[in-house]
Amino acid sequence: MDPLSPRTFRQACEAASHDARLRAVLDHATRHFQKNRAAALDAFAHREEHFARARAARLHALSRLPELLEELERNAAAAGTTVHWAADAAEAREIIAGIARGCGARVIVKGKSMVSEEVALNPALEATGAEVWETDLGEFIVQLAGEPPSHIIAPSIHKSRSDVAALFREKLGLAVDDGGESIPGLTMLARRALREKFLAADLGVTGVNMAVAETGSLVLVENEGNIRMSTTCPRAHVALMSLEKVVATLDDAASLLRVLPRSATGQRMSSYVSVLTGPRRAGESDGPAEAHLVILDNGRSAALADPVLRETLLCFRCGACLNACPVYQTVGGHAYGSVYSGPIGALLSSLLLPAEDTRDLPFGCTLCGACTRTCPLSIDHPKLMLRLRERVCGGRPSFAGAAHAFLARHPLAYRFAVGTARAVDPHLDLLPRLAGLAGLPGLAQFVDSRQPPALRTPFSAQLRARRKGGA
Amino acid sequence: MPCRLPAACQPGRGGVVALPMRVLLQIPCLVEDCLPDIGLAAVAVLERLGFDVAHPAGQTCCGQPAFKTGDAEGARAQALRMFEIFAGPDPVVSLSGSCAKMLRAYPGLFAPGTDEHARALDLAGRSFEFCGFLAAQPDFAGLARLAPTLKVRACLHRSCQLDGADAPGRVLALVRGLSLVEPERPERCCGFGGLFSLQFPSVSESLLEDKAHEILACEPDLLVSAEPSCLMNIGGYLARLGRPLPVLHVAQLLAKALGGPSWTH
Repeated sequence: MDPLSPRTFRQACEAASHDARLRAVLDHATRHFQKNRAAALDAFAHREEHFARARAARLHALSRLPELLEELERNAAAAGTTVHWAADAAEAREIIAGIARGCGARVIVKGKSMVSEEVALNPALEATGAEVWETDLGEFIVQLAGEPPSHIIAPSIHKSRSDVAALFREKLGLAVDDGGESIPGLTMLARRALREKFLAADLGVTGVNMAVAETGSLVLVENEGNIRMSTTCPRAHVALMSLEKVVATLDDAASLLRVLPRSATGQRMSSYVSVLTGPRRAGESDGPAEAHLVILDNGRSAALADPVLRETLLCFRCGACLNACPVYQTVGGHAYGSVYSGPIGALLSSLLLPAEDTRDLPFGCTLCGACTRTCPLSIDHPKLMLRLRERVCGGRPSFAGAAHAFLARHPLAYRFAVGTARAVDPHLDLLPRLAGLAGLPGLAQFVDSRQPPALRTPFSAQLRARRKGGA
Repeated sequence: MPCRLPAACQPGRGGVVALPMRVLLQIPCLVEDCLPDIGLAAVAVLERLGFDVAHPAGQTCCGQPAFKTGDAEGARAQALRMFEIFAGPDPVVSLSGSCAKMLRAYPGLFAPGTDEHARALDLAGRSFEFCGFLAAQPDFAGLARLAPTLKVRACLHRSCQLDGADAPGRVLALVRGLSLVEPERPERCCGFGGLFSLQFPSVSESLLEDKAHEILACEPDLLVSAEPSCLMNIGGYLARLGRPLPVLHVAQLLAKALGGPSWTH
């Protein structure tokens, strides 16, 4: 089976939760993110107002999506950007591979882009004969390891420093004894390797954090400068955006920028914010000669049609819900079996991938609400999970669910059933053996790790007796 | 300005009998058949505070299992039953944060403008979790005046199902002598999640393991929470771990602090 498929989500979660090393790495990293974020938000005056403004900007964009996209296309084209529309992943791959061939690209550098992972762009670019290099440090690490990213903003969050050192020893010739296992040492090694690629690159490919309809500008947020390099050094730049990333105005983009870095990495602002409007103009000293924007649908307009689930498309990918989610903290991103992981990933994948592959995703959630309490845009993930569960089940209960629902509707039958159980098996010793019958194999493990409660004289009967006794 | 109250109602004249507020007790299925002491303790506490406690007949399930497994029709059927069981103007006091949350979620099950939606809004508007109910009363319904006292070190599990509400902590702060501690990550889920614990048993157990160790690190005498299912989950794990701890609902701790019988039976 394809290792990157949410079909195996349940098994992958169960396996990952037994991986003590992975749990320790994730625990360390997610706590680090949460600590920085909390500090940044503590110092953020009027933060609720800023969150509300950011949410309003996103809601406004979704409510006017078609016209804003057309406005974006007009204004981007007027600035000299070539705009392409991709209905699905295959079209996006074809368009971008075509651009790569068109400019004879031999070396392609990429900025971190989840949507390029979503459309599986790298193999398509490599098939044109070009070398393709991820230039974000985390993405570079997972590319060297031959793995997909496991976090929206921290692709190699599942790797410890010593994992990275081992990888660099193998792939980049890091000597065992040169003291390069310090983080600055490892970073410098990657930097040297990547600098050569930037200078040799013919094409830069990036994602988009927000696209501004009123100016046709693309806003890109980063900390490493690699996106700045990828969009200025090569002769051509292609930006790939999913269509919900559009906002109406530069003011709206600014509203999002006040919140995004704080929520993502705990920074007041990221080290670099690029606002790109078209290719290099006459008299300008840098920038690409050729600029392309690819606007991808890939299932989003269908999601937008659902009055409840469309809320998922408010997300601007800060990744805070991943760090807050106890399930993500325990199993990591790879278990989700798709590009997007954690609470928002389970929702997005359920909307973007075939329904039969994603049935388990909305159930891998305790509905604890840590995600929605963390989300700066107030996305109600648990409500959306419930909506997806309803969709998966087609509104029909399982056998055990139907039996329970029948008893719940008939108090006498309910009392009779519990009374019988109490008479036969008051300490619920038979529970594990009922597991197969009820289609719930997890019941045996539940009882194995937790002493089940006993069936006692019911509260109602005890209260009645007490009140009759005149107590 | 002269007092216009009838003579019999004027303060200090005597003869005035306060009309106790009637509350309708919602008993979670787990409390009804497995943890009845929680219900009895809640009745004792509410009566000590002067409430007229009614336990409406016919209660089975709030509809959570159906609601959380995608069976909206089953959840609606339960909601309709609950409208009948908890008819009337009186507040509904639930002994489980997640049941109270379910009661407040009923309006989402019906189309706005329908009669059912109106009834759901009515019930949702007067449904409270036990601690939330006490915290919503003026002066915590006079709880502090009864001088609840209990000299123990209690670890409070907040339960994610209370959505960050601090009512349990505020109620327990009124208990004299109580040393209240919290695990390192107070609001983190204990891993139960109903069906989740059966479909993802290892992940559930991992979360529970984290929770149990953070609780034990507080070195408490007992664990207290406003959510019976968390208590069952965590208590059952600690028992299997060989580190059993008394696990109490807030109502049980209050009953004990007000001089009721011991919580151990």
